[in-house]
Amino acid sequence: MKHLYLAAVVVSLAVSSNSGVAQDSARDLDAEVQDLKSEVLALNRELFLLEEELLFPANSQVALFVSMDVGDFFALDSVQVKINGKEVANYLYSEKEAEALIRGGVHRIHIENLKAGEHELVAFFVGKGPQGRDYRRGAEMTFEKGLGAKYMELRISDRQSKLQPEFFISEWE
Amino acid sequence: MKHLCATLCLLLIGLVASSPVYSDGDAGEPVVVRDPYYGDVLFHFYKGDYFNAIVRLTAAQKRGVLTHHDEDAELLRGGLALSYGLHDEAGRIFDALLATKTRPEIRDRTWFFLAKIRYQRGYLDAAADALAAIGDELPENLEPERHVLAANVAIARGQFDQAITALERWKGPKGWSDYARFNLGVALVRAGRFAEGANWLDKVGRLGDDRPEMLGLRDKANVALGYTWLQNDAPERARPVLQRVRLKGPFSNKALLGVGWADSDSGNFRSALTPWNELAGRDLLDPAVQESLLAVPYALGKLDATGQAATQYENAIVAFSQEHQRLTNAIADIEAGGMLDRLLAVEATADDTSGWYWRLEEMPDATESRYLYLLMAEHGFQEALKSYRDLVELRANLLGWRDRTRVFREIMDTRKAGYAARLPRIEASLASADMQALRNRHDRLAARLQRVEAEQNLFALATRREQQLADEIRQVAANPVLKRSSPEIDDVNSRIRLLQGVLQWQAEQDFPARVWRQKKQLHDVNRILVGAERARLAVDDARVNEPARLLDFDDRVGNLTPRIDTMLARVEATIERQRAFLDGLAVDELRAQQERLDTYTVQARFALAAVYDRATAASNGDGVEP
Repeated sequence: MKHLYLAAVVVSLAVSSNSGVAQDSARDLDAEVQDLKSEVLALNRELFLLEEELLFPANSQVALFVSMDVGDFFALDSVQVKINGKEVANYLYSEKEAEALIRGGVHRIHIENLKAGEHELVAFFVGKGPQGRDYRRGAEMTFEKGLGAKYMELRISDRQSKLQPEFFISEWE
Repeated sequence: MKHLCATLCLLLIGLVASSPVYSDGDAGEPVVVRDPYYGDVLFHFYKGDYFNAIVRLTAAQKRGVLTHHDEDAELLRGGLALSYGLHDEAGRIFDALLATKTRPEIRDRTWFFLAKIRYQRGYLDAAADALAAIGDELPENLEPERHVLAANVAIARGQFDQAITALERWKGPKGWSDYARFNLGVALVRAGRFAEGANWLDKVGRLGDDRPEMLGLRDKANVALGYTWLQNDAPERARPVLQRVRLKGPFSNKALLGVGWADSDSGNFRSALTPWNELAGRDLLDPAVQESLLAVPYALGKLDATGQAATQYENAIVAFSQEHQRLTNAIADIEAGGMLDRLLAVEATADDTSGWYWRLEEMPDATESRYLYLLMAEHGFQEALKSYRDLVELRANLLGWRDRTRVFREIMDTRKAGYAARLPRIEASLASADMQALRNRHDRLAARLQRVEAEQNLFALATRREQQLADEIRQVAANPVLKRSSPEIDDVNSRIRLLQGVLQWQAEQDFPARVWRQKKQLHDVNRILVGAERARLAVDDARVNEPARLLDFDDRVGNLTPRIDTMLARVEATIERQRAFLDGLAVDELRAQQERLDTYTVQARFALAAVYDRATAASNGDGVEP
């Protein structure tokens, strides 16, 4: 009785392994799952491109991106965007998403079609500023939409000299 | 190359941070993003949404909008494939990319992480190949883990001596070395070199590190060492080692059982009863507790408490039988289906991280749950569960696209109808707008202004009032009376010349500003004309190409829809296979527990029979039951 159990204990403390048959089956399945994932990803890429081209043709497309640098002076909660006076986006950032922005990620907050000509873009950034104070600041810009896709950047930046955050809107060249 | 390096560092740091053992990986600098869609991919990657990060990256690559991040993008794709559990594809990407473009240290890091993931997924030969591909440029902070990994791979492949060599050579930093020592100790014991193995396990078993994971490792080492001594008939050495295990830790049951056996093997049956009785009161789920139900009457028997021993054996048989029945019920529940849905429902509210780092952390309140904790701790089961979860997500993704492609068709139908309705109106309107005539008119005006400027024709740009005044003065000056000579007439002529001079002077003064104004207005007209011409070209383009464009969309949707359906059918079939596989693993685990209970029951029955035999023999003789 004792020796049966003792052997089991020592084996279980080292490397656990399934039976050979179970492992083969697991590998077959793993290979099939990997194949499927790759194929579904490829299909998603085609569908994603089709959707974008269909809904937002390059000629009329305007895409807005939120970016952030170090984030020492501002903890982002949300961004609200208005184009020509109409609210088009109001996005609440999770902690993980705000962290993703600080690490260099750029969030495409909005995409739409606009006619050629002048448009007014206003963005409000809400969060915690220096010393944890509630902070809400706006930035605005009038831009010219011509032919071809237009990318606008809504940028949150730390201004070291004033120990304050800064907010800009610019065209992404 | 700097960016290439920075990207991989970030990727690899991401992997390190999520590894189950701690690491000294630095935080890394944020990436400088020059193409917005590259930043968009990073955003999804950093928030753990690997699937969408890959879709967006490959779409952006196909559209050619990552011009500033060409090199990084492919490297990022490899890292994302790893994160999403596509280690074969990641291997292919890295292999193709690193062989040609990458510096040795990047290449070494990549092979290291490939090795790690292959090992964790049970691809031991491939893991060994990846480890062998690592050169001399691995960053210092990854070296310890590399050696531990090499040892673990060797142990898993049954190459104990190789594992021992790998670990004996290495002098790593604190923390890592303790894991390595433990692995080395186990490897030596398994190779039959007990004394050496015991020496290493003893060192780990005396660690003074209070971090929870290190306390766990210390307990694990002491249990392994204690049982090694018991196996080698050295109970007096086993006991103090097993007593070092914490009473409330996950290894306490095994330790209590072992301490009892150490006492029992030394003939101290009364002492053995203390840990075994403590153990017998714990949850019967643990094999150590089950064994204690046999160990207690075994010791009682040795102490000649035959009656008590018989009662305890009978209780054990009843307890085993009840537990066996509960396991039968749990197996029936699993076989009826729904175990996986219950497991995943627990995690449904968790964040949306998919792929490699996902792990089931909580168990549902279900019959089978209490029996599956051990299985849940196994890497193979977690891997299969993760795949099942990914497959369920793929199904949801494809079902979503199937609905959206229907919407695409509606959009295209609406566009076709709108196009057909608008076309006659647009054509009529275009026919009435003569762009060329407007352009000619602009050009004529421009030429005229050029002439005026070249000839310095001051009054060509004068105001109407100035021109009237000039005409009036000219008419007055042309009066024949003024050709005569008299002091009065001379005075009038002199005034006329003065007026002409003033007018001329004013026109000269204003001429540059007037020319500038005219040029500006012509420029504005030209701009509007250019805009109109562009719009006209766009309209002409749309008239010619829109039907072809709509046809192209029709074709694409037409081709993609059956692919979605085919893929859905394959995903459904694989979900069922994966479900059957996981259910099978769970049922096998529960049946193994039943088999162990059966073995214990048989042992209890034999022991009980022996107790009765002894009692009968005693009652037939002069003995009295104690």
